[in-house]
Amino acid sequence: MEFDIQKLKKRPAFPFETIAVGLSFSPRMESVLAEAKKIADACNAKLVLIHVGLKTKEKESILDNILFTAGIDVKKAKIIWTEGDEVDTILKICKLNIVDLLVVGALEKENLIKFYLGSIARTICRKAKCSVLLLTNTSSQKTKNKVIVNAGADHPKTMHTINTAFYFAKQIGIKEVTLVHEVHSPALAMAMAESSSAPEVTKIKKEFTEEESSKLHNIIAKCDTGNLKINEKVIKGKPGYAVRQYAITKKADLLVINSPDTHLTFLDRIFTHDIEYILADLPCNLLIVHSRV
Amino acid sequence: MSKFTHNDLIVLLTALSTILIFSRILSELGRRFHFPIVMGEIIVGILLGPTVLGTLSPDFFQRVFPKDGNVSIAFDGLVNLSVVLLLFVAGLEVQLPLVLKQGKTAIATSFFSMLIPFALGFVAAFYFPNLFGGSLGGNEIYFAMFIGTALAISALPVIARILMDMNLFKTNIGMLIMASAMFNDLIGWLIFSFLLSVRHGADSIGVGYSILYIFGFGLFMLTIGKKIIDRALPWIQTKLSWPGGVLSVSIGVCLICAAFTEKIDIHAILGAFIAGIAFGDSAHLHEKAREIIHQFITNFFAPLFFVSIGLRVNFAENFDPMIVGVVLVLAYFGKVFGSAFGAYLGGLKIKNAFAVGFGLNARGAMEIILGTLALSAGIISPKLFVALVVMALVTSLTSAPMIRKLI
Repeated sequence: MEFDIQKLKKRPAFPFETIAVGLSFSPRMESVLAEAKKIADACNAKLVLIHVGLKTKEKESILDNILFTAGIDVKKAKIIWTEGDEVDTILKICKLNIVDLLVVGALEKENLIKFYLGSIARTICRKAKCSVLLLTNTSSQKTKNKVIVNAGADHPKTMHTINTAFYFAKQIGIKEVTLVHEVHSPALAMAMAESSSAPEVTKIKKEFTEEESSKLHNIIAKCDTGNLKINEKVIKGKPGYAVRQYAITKKADLLVINSPDTHLTFLDRIFTHDIEYILADLPCNLLIVHSRV
Repeated sequence: MSKFTHNDLIVLLTALSTILIFSRILSELGRRFHFPIVMGEIIVGILLGPTVLGTLSPDFFQRVFPKDGNVSIAFDGLVNLSVVLLLFVAGLEVQLPLVLKQGKTAIATSFFSMLIPFALGFVAAFYFPNLFGGSLGGNEIYFAMFIGTALAISALPVIARILMDMNLFKTNIGMLIMASAMFNDLIGWLIFSFLLSVRHGADSIGVGYSILYIFGFGLFMLTIGKKIIDRALPWIQTKLSWPGGVLSVSIGVCLICAAFTEKIDIHAILGAFIAGIAFGDSAHLHEKAREIIHQFITNFFAPLFFVSIGLRVNFAENFDPMIVGVVLVLAYFGKVFGSAFGAYLGGLKIKNAFAVGFGLNARGAMEIILGTLALSAGIISPKLFVALVVMALVTSLTSAPMIRKLI
């Protein structure tokens, strides 16, 4: 297939015109496909189904049954059977087909060895050049309630992520979105312990929170919220970890975050930071927005 | 062995009380002029030590701060404990993911802000040891490596304070300075621990073992040790009494790590520092717990340690303008240009790159701790030690005004 890079370059993160699904033939494939179908219908997107592995009669028959149950029209969906390295092949196909959203099923927590070596779903999240929806819980009610967006106010990708989250929320009928801004101040405790009086410490902390709160507020003011009800929350803690804990506490159904800034390696899992805290133990379904900026 | 008497206890408690109260008064005065807290503590040491009190009233000085005997041994024990805990809190704020996250600018800045001052100090001390008052013990390579390390290290506490006062804490430049300072601290203390472990003229097998032990211990603590701490902290912070539980467990782990590294002939400071990193890097450590640990150590143990410096060394006798001048010139030149070069390579504009250079130039308490340990280990002379203390204070004082001019 001839690939036109210009179509991909600077392509906005939304609308989701093409949605791909990674087929693993695992027990949860049926529910992942059903969820992907709902999202595709809501976004009016075409579906690309990808399986990396040997094409057998048995697999074809299973897939036919699942597609029928999920109500996916085989004539409209594009089904790709191919072989090779799972992650690289899926990502290459996504690039060639200008996929806007890749849907993959994932376990909430991998065993330690698999996590450090990198499971397929998580490696896709680290390397993907399109947005990725990691489904841990595919109960249809579950994606419609509490949506939390990690809105790192200082990051250039955040605006795209928030707008994409709002678009996604509107398309699938979510009414309320919570924007969370994490504040992490390494060495602040040390700086204050050096020589700060109690009122100074209180003042410094208050100013920090107010400053961050105002940043978040300014970002929201620039977004098209439509009829969505927006909640704002500034939380303290390590980026990634704090929002994960918040999502767990609030029993969130979907967490939306920026795509990683750098190529994440084994070292990033050892010295865990940002997205790796979330991938280590998924709090709920996860939408990673790749803004292509 | 003589018993610790009723009178010894009175002398020790009076000495500790004098140190704590006087250093608090001077630090509070200094705070009004934005001087680092360590400056007040050093001045108290100079006033109460052989430089002023010992000269004016030697008998009284000897009575309050005896040089020998039980009180001196007990006081030394407290000072050693203080330095171990100070390294623990220094490690507590070293967050390696921050360096990884800051990307190529932080990596270039960290690397060159270490390499250039280290190389400059090493070459100068190796070829012209007399400029530093000569190497002690005749081992020029270790002496040169020490000078290189002393010039390469930064002081995170004072840098963090400067950035906070200047409202640069959360800016990109502020984060870059912090990440680079963390990296400088980590590498600097690793090299220094190595120097201390081979200070008795170990052969090549001994040197090899020292390197193996240092990296083996560091690697274990920052991977498996950190994972164990990660698992244990939520339980400690919720099931044990607050904040007593986390305070005693964290300090207990720090001390056992320090004892272990001392036992395997690496200095206790490395164990404490690495334990600090393992605790501080854990996302589970509550911010409040971190604050309490900092407050406890910074306000009780830090004054004891920094005042004790002035009690040991006569600053007037050992002030050598030539050594002070050489150390200052090399410190400024190596650190400011080295860091600025790295930051510039990492993509910063020249003015901002120099602001990063002056930010990282603040040596503060870390340099003084390094100098004290080197003096105790017999690596440097009291004259060079005084020059390092002066350099630490001058670089800390000039950092903020220079950044202000550039940004």
